[in-house]
Amino acid sequence: MKIAVISCIHGNYEALNEVLLDIDRHQVEQIYCLGDLVGYGPYPNAVVEMIRSLDIPTCQGCWDEDVVEGLNACECSYPSLLAEKRGRLAHEWTNQEIHPETRSFLAQLPLSLRDGNLCFVHGSPHSQHEYMLPDMHAFTAMERVLATGADTLFCGHTHIPYVRQLESGQLQVRVSSGQSSQRPNQQTSNFSAPLKRIVNAGSVGEPRHGRTNATYVLYDAETEQVTLREVEYDYQKTCAAIVEKGLPSIFAWRLARGLEFAERADDPTHVCER
Amino acid sequence: MVIWAILSGIEGNLAAYEAVLADIKRQRQPVEELYILGDIIAATPASANVIQRIRSPRDHEPEPQVCRGWWEEQLLILHGSGRTGEPTELIEYYGAEQVKALWDAIPRSTVNWIQSLDFGFFELDCLLIHGSTVSVSDELTPNTPPIQMLDRLMRMDANYLFCGRSGLTFQYEIQQGSITSSVTTLDHTAPPQATLVKPRQVIGVGNVGRIPGQATYTLYNPYANQVEFRTVRYGPRKGFQSI
Ligand SMILES: [Zn+2]
Ligand SMILES: [Zn+2]
Repeated sequence: MKIAVISCIHGNYEALNEVLLDIDRHQVEQIYCLGDLVGYGPYPNAVVEMIRSLDIPTCQGCWDEDVVEGLNACECSYPSLLAEKRGRLAHEWTNQEIHPETRSFLAQLPLSLRDGNLCFVHGSPHSQHEYMLPDMHAFTAMERVLATGADTLFCGHTHIPYVRQLESGQLQVRVSSGQSSQRPNQQTSNFSAPLKRIVNAGSVGEPRHGRTNATYVLYDAETEQVTLREVEYDYQKTCAAIVEKGLPSIFAWRLARGLEFAERADDPTHVCER
Repeated sequence: MVIWAILSGIEGNLAAYEAVLADIKRQRQPVEELYILGDIIAATPASANVIQRIRSPRDHEPEPQVCRGWWEEQLLILHGSGRTGEPTELIEYYGAEQVKALWDAIPRSTVNWIQSLDFGFFELDCLLIHGSTVSVSDELTPNTPPIQMLDRLMRMDANYLFCGRSGLTFQYEIQQGSITSSVTTLDHTAPPQATLVKPRQVIGVGNVGRIPGQATYTLYNPYANQVEFRTVRYGPRKGFQSI
């Protein structure tokens, strides 16, 4: 069985359409979506409508949460100050643009989805706002996968796709407990972690891997093979709509380059503890 | 030689705290720093006396450094300044009546002081905190899986994490570890890379006030990295005060 995993559409209807056509060409049986349906882009309602009409199981992204819950007072939802300032403008615009049905659809999205030994989340299993970058400490990454009980963890949120394999993990621990240090009850044990994988699905509507193409992933459940896909679409159409609709033009600029500098997180693993 | 005394969970039990202070005074190596990792209060009016005692150390007693615990967090939630809006955990663990009991037990005049408490301390390579880097409610025990322990240590990049949520005394050493990782992006495949883990520890510092007549706490020498757990027995019927 083949599945497709898409993430971070961000109101980019053109890109979503083109990715769905590409998925059609690959005999995919199931599509999963990792959230961030809205934010940055010009067509939040149309994107949500499309996902709903196709019945694509979707988990809630950081933008979906913020639009529903209202922007939290904690600035750490954003990776940097610049990203925060822009994000606020986009948030306000999106908040005014979306229909009540769109809002209630986003509100009921689950934080994670499960399919056999696969788990799907937006940021990390601990938070929609945590960035699991490819250079995250390997044991921290392993903890994130183990926290789900799955073998392969699909995530998004960083907008740059990757596959990370974690193997031969082992830890040796010694635990002493008991009331008195004179007669400690001491135990040494070895722990080994099974092979795990993290698959980042990239971004359909706001790619940041250095090119303008939309990205998503295909997964073959039989062979366990992951394919990172890059799909061309008419990004200029989306750029024009961004400007026309009065969104900050920086979103058009970066869409036309597939890059974002401001969102290189100051502290990517920081998770807000509100 | 520097010795730290690290304790947690006085829970409004002044007699227990006094017994621990007396034990600290008896140490051959003088204790220079006193860390109290939260839960100084509980839903009991005696908590006010403990706060009073902590805030006014006597001559030759180390100035206690106190951080926020689970009970303090519950109180702040009731006063609208916790990290969540509802005292869900308080009701779940102790029942709805405890909400009023806690509210009544702690004088309004001390709430500001409680609110000013730090979430934890980072001293040398040691993190001292009530629960963990995740929250005051995060309970680390001798049975916590190693990878979770390592995660809690690495979140703040601490070599030693002292915590008090479980109330247990334990020393959990991650002696060594390794893992291999390989990353493939659209543009290239990096060869597998091994990551080694350096030794780190989580130390449960015990609990002072929960069990009547018996308090546990921890002495630590940060230069020799030596941990000693102390058990102090106190109360009118005991023939001795310490073992
Ligand atoms: Zn996104
Ligand atoms: Zn996101």
